[in-house]
Amino acid sequence: MLEALVYGILVGAAIFSAIQSLRADSLLRSAIWLAGVSVLISIVIYLLGAHRVAVIELSVGAGLVTVLFVFAISVAGGEGIGERSLIPKPLAWSLIIFSGLLLIYFVLPIKASISTVSETSLATVFWQDRSLDLLVQVALIYSGALGLVGILAEAKAPLQQSMVDEFAAERELALHDMEIKAGSEEDHPIEPQSKSS
Amino acid sequence: MATLLVLLTIGLPWIGALFVLLTGDERPKLQHAIASIFSVAAGISAIVLLWFTSDQSVLSIPMGSVFGVFTFLPDALGVLLAVIANTVGSLAVIFSIDYMRGNEQLGRYYALVMFFIGAMAGLGISGSLLLMFLFWEITAFCSYALISFHNDDPKAVAAGIKALIITQLGGIGLLVGALIINSYVGSYQISVFLAEADVVPFNVLTLLAFCFLAAAIAKSAQVPLHTWLPDAMEAPTPVSALIHAATMVNAGVYLVARFFPVFEVVPGWTTSVLIVGMLSALLGALMALVAADLKRALAYSTISQLGYMFFAVGVGAVFASQFHLLSHAIFKALLFLCAGAVIPAVGSRDMRQMGGLRKTMPFVYTVFVIGSLALIGLPVANGFFSKELILEEGFMHAPMWAYIGMLMGVGLTALYVSRMVFMVFYGERKGKKPIHDGLFWMRASLVALSFGVFTTWLLAGVLNDLMAQTLPFHDVHAIGTFKLVKEIALAPATWISLAVIALGIGTWILRKSLAGIKDSLRPVARLFENGLGFEHLNQGIINVTKNLSAVLHLTQTGQLNWNILGIVGMLSVLLALLFIGV
Amino acid sequence: MNLSPINICLLGVTGLVAAGFYGLLTTRNLIKVVIMLQILVKAAVLGLIAAGNASGRQYLTQSMAITVIVADTIVAVIGMAFAIQIRRQVGTLDTNELSSLRG
Repeated sequence: MLEALVYGILVGAAIFSAIQSLRADSLLRSAIWLAGVSVLISIVIYLLGAHRVAVIELSVGAGLVTVLFVFAISVAGGEGIGERSLIPKPLAWSLIIFSGLLLIYFVLPIKASISTVSETSLATVFWQDRSLDLLVQVALIYSGALGLVGILAEAKAPLQQSMVDEFAAERELALHDMEIKAGSEEDHPIEPQSKSS
Repeated sequence: MATLLVLLTIGLPWIGALFVLLTGDERPKLQHAIASIFSVAAGISAIVLLWFTSDQSVLSIPMGSVFGVFTFLPDALGVLLAVIANTVGSLAVIFSIDYMRGNEQLGRYYALVMFFIGAMAGLGISGSLLLMFLFWEITAFCSYALISFHNDDPKAVAAGIKALIITQLGGIGLLVGALIINSYVGSYQISVFLAEADVVPFNVLTLLAFCFLAAAIAKSAQVPLHTWLPDAMEAPTPVSALIHAATMVNAGVYLVARFFPVFEVVPGWTTSVLIVGMLSALLGALMALVAADLKRALAYSTISQLGYMFFAVGVGAVFASQFHLLSHAIFKALLFLCAGAVIPAVGSRDMRQMGGLRKTMPFVYTVFVIGSLALIGLPVANGFFSKELILEEGFMHAPMWAYIGMLMGVGLTALYVSRMVFMVFYGERKGKKPIHDGLFWMRASLVALSFGVFTTWLLAGVLNDLMAQTLPFHDVHAIGTFKLVKEIALAPATWISLAVIALGIGTWILRKSLAGIKDSLRPVARLFENGLGFEHLNQGIINVTKNLSAVLHLTQTGQLNWNILGIVGMLSVLLALLFIGV
Repeated sequence: MNLSPINICLLGVTGLVAAGFYGLLTTRNLIKVVIMLQILVKAAVLGLIAAGNASGRQYLTQSMAITVIVADTIVAVIGMAFAIQIRRQVGTLDTNELSSLRG
């Protein structure tokens, strides 16, 4: 009973933080509430027995991502989150509540509890059985880094007008040469559009 | 070995397309070379495949439980289509070396043509309905892209869209049919369906038969869905020769021929096929008679000849239809390529501005006459044998009114072909002096095709044999070439049709004396020039499709929130369904 | 009503998913969108771990959860990079206006 209470409080607090994150005035507060969600979720995960995942979630979710958000918001954010949404709020509410209720209907009857571990060890599962996942993660991180560099690159300076003129002149000359070489015989490859029927 | 050949037949053109694109448009000579070499290699591989036809699948690629197994079954029907696609395709590519010289978008052109050739070969050889549908769609896309090749010309773009919409609506019929077959028979394999067709309840079989017929009518430009083909003449002429005369429009004939054994028991199906064939044959011939544009006249002629093939399937003569398919591919490609030589040389597509080209373009004149002999069906050319075989089968098995209709079509064919030959090559020269009499590569492919006109009828026995061996469900009797030829030559139907042909040619020669009849028929002629109202029907279909897509476009707002609304909405629908199911 | 911890966790997943989707439905700011996505992913991680506990295959779901966390971090990184660059080039972070841009 106590256990369920603890879980209930933690999960409830996480949902509360999420809702506060939704309704925050400024982006910075939103990001801080997100960090709160992250911390609470990581505590719940720890209580469920997945210690390593909880640590990773805490350090990455509540640490790295929050710092990232704060940095990005300080550079890019700042205004315009108080605008009206495109979708009427009642519609959004009703849809969400409807799906939520149905989901709860499905979730409540699940009678399961923490069962005993049936696998060898996390290390074997992680490094050997799921080695393909590791490959995927490496590829993801690599592409993420490349993407970051690519997206944040400075835009190339537009070509100066003099160079543009130079290229155009070269093209003119080349076309002229081709016309002279082709002569008169092979000069009508495309049929004219005079059709009457 | 057969597996390798199948892969080469479909894969070589595709690899060639890729290489042509990679070479880039700065090296046109290399592009011409690559395209020609790969398409000729593909043609050779398809011809070699003739020795390896079988009624078992030679290559199977399992695609999971949803898509079944993608098999390739090189039986006679399929390999014939592949051989035609690859060889006529290679000749069209060789012709394009001269025709498309100087065009800036050569890469796009060759890539699309080669992609099409591979897909057409695949359509024939595939043994799974879903794979066939895939190749069907690829050919439709390539056809659209090539019709609108000159995409700065709004007429070409409109013609391309029209062709795309009409053939795709037919393609829906094919897909629906494939799904229905899978749900009843349990497999997408054509051979399985042909063997176990009695599993399908009768009314569903009727629905299937007419769905496939609709797909075939749309793809082969038969009445009433025929108006896209004359408009598709905006494409570059080698494309018209390849796609809209020799290969893609044959896909419809192939479809009805392939599924004939199953659908012939559906009452009214064979009669419908017969009627569609007859109407197309007659209407096509009549509209060709009044057309002023050379390519449009040839397009109407294609519609008419395809009508003959449909008629043959309708009376049960599958072999005759395939034989005529082979002959028609060769002589129609020949005629179109001649048009491709004449039109740029003269500078106009209007036949009223041509004339007297017999003296200034003797080579093209000779070759065009050879093609015309085949089209009319005179005894030296392959068209004679195949058309007479169809008429003979029609005489024996078709209702008399249908046979008379087809006979009239033969006469009309003779008439309009004579008109075409006369307007272009005889008389006085009206337009500009032609610049050339066929350039080197043009002549090369024209010579090859003319050779084909005189020799492919000899392959009739071989084709018959192959069909008897590899088509277990079609009732094909194998008789040798010599017996076939003798049978055709001595049949009474042949003599009747030769007489009608003579009547047709005579009518043209004596047209001055018959001028009175011609004048009285003039208002009728005007009716035919306007396409008899079918144009409105087809344009109506196009407009409905365009309006529907414009309405549906409104749901694709591009706004994030609306997209999420779609996702969440679907989620709640799924949950509700699960809830109700519980 | 006897709710086991697993039940409570799954209810938590539902609540977080609802909050995340509501946010996605109603927000117009690009950065807020990324924040909402993060909430959704945390819900998914919680769901994974809870399911692993319920079925006995805990280590499997823990490995998958690690993969998911890595992936969602990359998403956040790229999302922020987009937001910064769009702010610099276009000047606005309003998804409504961004979707009607041409080139």
